[in-house]
Amino acid sequence: MNGLIDQLSLFWPALLTAMTLAVAGGIGGVLVVLRRQTLLVLSLPQIVTLGAAIGLRMGWPTLPPAIAVVAAAVLLIAWSSTRKASHLILPALFVAGMCLSILVVAGAGAELIQVQNMFVGIDVAVEPNQAIIAGIVLTGIACAIAILWRRWILLAQAPATAELANLRPTRWDLLFLCLISSILLIGTDVMGTALAVVMLFLPAATVLPWAKRVPTALLLAGIAGLLFVLLGFVLSIGMDWPLSQSIGGTGCAAFLLSHLLAR
Amino acid sequence: MNLIELDQTSFGYNGKAIVRVERLPLQSGKSLGIFGPNGAGKTTLVRGLTGLLSPLSGRVSRREEIRIAYMPQHASMESHWPMSGFDAAAMTMSAQRPMGWVGSSRREILNMMTRLGVANLADRAFFKLSGGQQQRILLAGAMVIQPHLLVLDEPTSGLDVHSRRMLVDVLLDFTQQGLTSVMISHEIEDLTEVCDEVAWLCPAGQADQPTRVELVAPDEMAKRLFVNRSAT
Repeated sequence: MNGLIDQLSLFWPALLTAMTLAVAGGIGGVLVVLRRQTLLVLSLPQIVTLGAAIGLRMGWPTLPPAIAVVAAAVLLIAWSSTRKASHLILPALFVAGMCLSILVVAGAGAELIQVQNMFVGIDVAVEPNQAIIAGIVLTGIACAIAILWRRWILLAQAPATAELANLRPTRWDLLFLCLISSILLIGTDVMGTALAVVMLFLPAATVLPWAKRVPTALLLAGIAGLLFVLLGFVLSIGMDWPLSQSIGGTGCAAFLLSHLLAR
Repeated sequence: MNLIELDQTSFGYNGKAIVRVERLPLQSGKSLGIFGPNGAGKTTLVRGLTGLLSPLSGRVSRREEIRIAYMPQHASMESHWPMSGFDAAAMTMSAQRPMGWVGSSRREILNMMTRLGVANLADRAFFKLSGGQQQRILLAGAMVIQPHLLVLDEPTSGLDVHSRRMLVDVLLDFTQQGLTSVMISHEIEDLTEVCDEVAWLCPAGQADQPTRVELVAPDEMAKRLFVNRSAT
């Protein structure tokens, strides 16, 4: 017990960020899964890593180039959606991010290791200030997505009704894309690709078979995400495993169990 | 009095006309059917009528401040979303609210659901209900904003005889009370029972020509279709 408390005092910034990422990712993930945009969750973190790799190579901070590259990717995805080609663009972005981020730092030893660590989320070091800022922003995004839950239903089920009320579905789609991209951007930059992907998919996919309404699914996904983090943290301390992988493993086990019991 | 009037109007996309209308007046309190083969431009015409699509040529007169409700086809909805009957009925009202919140209008929505006999389905999973129940919930949702014009997209598609009868009776009830409606349908029975006139979309012989719209009485259309069918 004392060991756990010692670890908590050491790792609280990482744990706080993981918990807020769990809530924001869980809530955003419900809409991502329902809108069938899971490819987005796989490809954008790779793009964040590409931006961070450019920053590392140039000796800049990692976040500004990551924001720039993600903004360009979001515009590309939004444009491809209007041409019904996002199913081609998203896998292409996934591959581009995965390959180019390594090529950018190829030959630069320390930077290469940092980029590899971003992918797998090992040796995550989060500063207290970074954790607090990320926590506030992620909580704000989670609230925005949750508050607009009826809007997301309307846009998916009756876009013509939305248009007749002067709501522009393409603008709302872009807003949703920006909110999800922000979660992935902050999550990947602070905690690494692995945990960002875990949180935007597994909590939602775990609880959706049990939810009868969207608000219930949002609440359950947030709680599931928090449970994955807490169980993963205990496992990580107890078994001396890396945090992201322990949380991801816990989430995978819960996802499988949920789907076995739901059938 | 005409709610909407099209005069020598054509609608289409990227400068290419899909549908051309000589004259189409939509009178208040009347019901207009839209009939034609797949791909003829029924949706394009409805988008033009409702103002979602600007005309490529001609004139569209539309009364100001017109409130339009759209009733989607239940079969075209995404059934993997977890939704209650109330959530489905609240969609149209939520479109009118800044953040989609309908808390203050809950009673109005439930009252309309009661009127259509579906209030007991408010807490049930929407996509586990029958097609007829789903359509009546969607109709209640569309009617709750008291529209000047109701647009119905294949309202009886996929319904059994009993459910169809119930839905048509409800539509007739609203029409008799002065509702103006536009109904896209492939069902000749629906058009003859509910509509006062039908905009019949007749594709031109050549691919690059827009579909022509002929305004006919529903009985006349049914007669012509029956004669054609008998002849073949």
